[in-house]
Amino acid sequence: MELNIYAYKCKRCGQIHYPYKTICKQCGENDHNEFDIVPLPKKGKLLTYTILHHPPSDYEVVTLSLGIVELEGGHRITGQLNIKNPKIGMKVEGKVEVVRKEAYKKHLGIVFYQV
Amino acid sequence: MREVYVAGIGITSFTRLEYPLVEIAAYPGLMALRDSGLKKIDHLYVANMGGGRINGQTGLASAVVDHLSLTPAGAATIENGPASGASAIKEGYMAVASGMHDVVMVIGAERMREVNQLEATDFVATLTHPLAEYIYGITLPSLAGMFTRLYMEKYGVTSRHLAMVAVKNHHNAMDNFFAHLHEDITIEGILDSPEASTNNPFVAEPLRFYDVCPVSDGGACLILATSEVMKKINKPMIRLAGIGQATDTHAIHERKDPTELLAVREAARQSFVMAGVKPENVDVAELHDAFTILEIAESEEVGFFKKGEGHIALEKGDTKIGGKIPINPSGGLKAKGHPVGATGVGQAHEIVLQLRGEAEKRQVKNARIGFTCNFGGFGNNVVCLTFIKEK
Amino acid sequence: MSVDLEKILRPVETPLPEFPPKFMTLSNGQEMVVRQVDRDEIPDILPFVEPLMHVERDFYHIVAARVYAELLSYYTHRVQDEYVFIAQVAGEIAAIVNGRIVNADIGMSYHTLSLRRGLRVGAHAFAAKMEYHIDILKQKEVLIVAESPIGFRRWMIEYNLEKRFHIAHELGGCPSWSLTRDLFDKARNTLVVGRRPVPEHLLTKAKVGILSPSDPPKPPADLLAATRSMLDNTGTSLIDMKRKLGGN
Repeated sequence: MELNIYAYKCKRCGQIHYPYKTICKQCGENDHNEFDIVPLPKKGKLLTYTILHHPPSDYEVVTLSLGIVELEGGHRITGQLNIKNPKIGMKVEGKVEVVRKEAYKKHLGIVFYQV
Repeated sequence: MREVYVAGIGITSFTRLEYPLVEIAAYPGLMALRDSGLKKIDHLYVANMGGGRINGQTGLASAVVDHLSLTPAGAATIENGPASGASAIKEGYMAVASGMHDVVMVIGAERMREVNQLEATDFVATLTHPLAEYIYGITLPSLAGMFTRLYMEKYGVTSRHLAMVAVKNHHNAMDNFFAHLHEDITIEGILDSPEASTNNPFVAEPLRFYDVCPVSDGGACLILATSEVMKKINKPMIRLAGIGQATDTHAIHERKDPTELLAVREAARQSFVMAGVKPENVDVAELHDAFTILEIAESEEVGFFKKGEGHIALEKGDTKIGGKIPINPSGGLKAKGHPVGATGVGQAHEIVLQLRGEAEKRQVKNARIGFTCNFGGFGNNVVCLTFIKEK
Repeated sequence: MSVDLEKILRPVETPLPEFPPKFMTLSNGQEMVVRQVDRDEIPDILPFVEPLMHVERDFYHIVAARVYAELLSYYTHRVQDEYVFIAQVAGEIAAIVNGRIVNADIGMSYHTLSLRRGLRVGAHAFAAKMEYHIDILKQKEVLIVAESPIGFRRWMIEYNLEKRFHIAHELGGCPSWSLTRDLFDKARNTLVVGRRPVPEHLLTKAKVGILSPSDPPKPPADLLAATRSMLDNTGTSLIDMKRKLGGN
């Protein structure tokens, strides 16, 4: 089963939000939870990145590659990068995987690979 | 609305302090009372971010007001991330300006070194968006790293410019008794020498060790009062003339243009309009350089330089003490230290010291108008203050 | 009679190559020299270690106490094949590192004691030790443990040391970690820093005398300073402000 990252589409005006907002940022008219969930595209281009040398204490790796990707359709997302030499503008494709383990919880998020 | 003045100031060293948080908060309060000559206050605001999580102390203001024997004055703790300090000053201003209170004490305090550095960084990372950023292991340095890379691509800022900010601020801090770091670093030592990569390793590429502020403890205090009170105590008339605040999206990737700090721009604009001055009238400024790139970016967004030219002004020496617009004469967050809740009040403390003419070796000559920028979250909640010396 | 006894009490020493001194530029532009010291210099070093036994934070007290013992054991010939390096800045002692050679293949790292705060002095001194074991003595691995969490982060995590939990380290018998030749090669650009040969004037200044550190770690002057408004090194600015306000 393929996993997706979901964005939230206002039922009244169709504005798409990622991450979730309680009130639609465009029309401001929606009722509580009046959003449709729509899967975000997974392909895009790398807008910026960094290699973090001191990740949070629950990570066992020495460095963590993080980046912001502009997806097809214009929405942006923050994610981890599984890319050896990232470059701004690089074409990437994402997969939903475990990105952080906190105590017993496994957080799922998007990891980008080079296309 | 009444005019609001600074009646007294106090500060601890911003370093590693062995005292409990409540005492780190109380000391500057004591010094400010002695400085102003006042014996009572109407209300206390305490700015603090980590008290509950790191130090196990909630309701900090209630504890401090009693510690200072100032009960039954009102008290409230203000939390606005790294902008807690300036936010608390804003609350204090509104209390006095509205006519509700005549004398308000504002303290900023933090004891981050009660836990180790890893835990301190994890704690600050709780500012980030829980679902879109936190789960990926995003910490504040990683957000700054991504921001810096874009800035380098777009405007041609280099590691050398970042190193110049660090060297300038460290140099300023050598003349600041309260500063955390008294290390007179050189460009050669942190960038050019063959051992630079060990002296200055990467933290979140392209940011290096000397581009990131230290983890500090500390406290600072300002007492705000009306002009009637000021006349009685015979202290220099330093007026808190302008306050601006603005917010931006929580998740960094949602910003319209990730190289722009719109909240800084708007908060600074409001602050200048309210004070009735322009950016070019400012004589001295304390900007929030938690990461060296932020000093460059903020100097542009507040209006001192054109967008994309902050690093050029830095090269020319415009931001040194003695230059066109001295920035961070105290050493800034980079060298003076960054006890999160205290920083905003610490910046105001430095500006008041400068406007009073009491900054000794790091005095900016004839400083009359001062400005601070307190940067909360990663640019999503910014408070700017403008101070004017009267007479 | 006493000469024979001393011969029995002393471990047999393996002749080891000397560590060729090196120098590096620190963040503040000053130059630091890392060199090996002989037994006759140990009495000059001991007085600088002793005060740190009373600094109760960051595990200085236990590291200083152990280093003191190790330096004394080296001086009195009661430990086998130990080496001691010191780092000096303008003659002032900045760090002490030491360790032991277990056999031709295995080294046992003892301690890294920084007498100067900041400036990554400890990192440079530690790197020099590792270079000695792997590059100069051509050993296969170095066993390492850490007393403080800071040490653990700087060495075990940053260099991705291998676990050798079945081997008890000589420091306290706890499980060891190992820096293998492989890991050393991977981290070569951070572990082999500094330049040789050391310029004549720097080496002479370092050898002529070991000066006391100018800014060593200190215990606070009074643990209850908070309630007594006394000057303390961990830092309030109270005294300075009191002076400015004209108080006593």
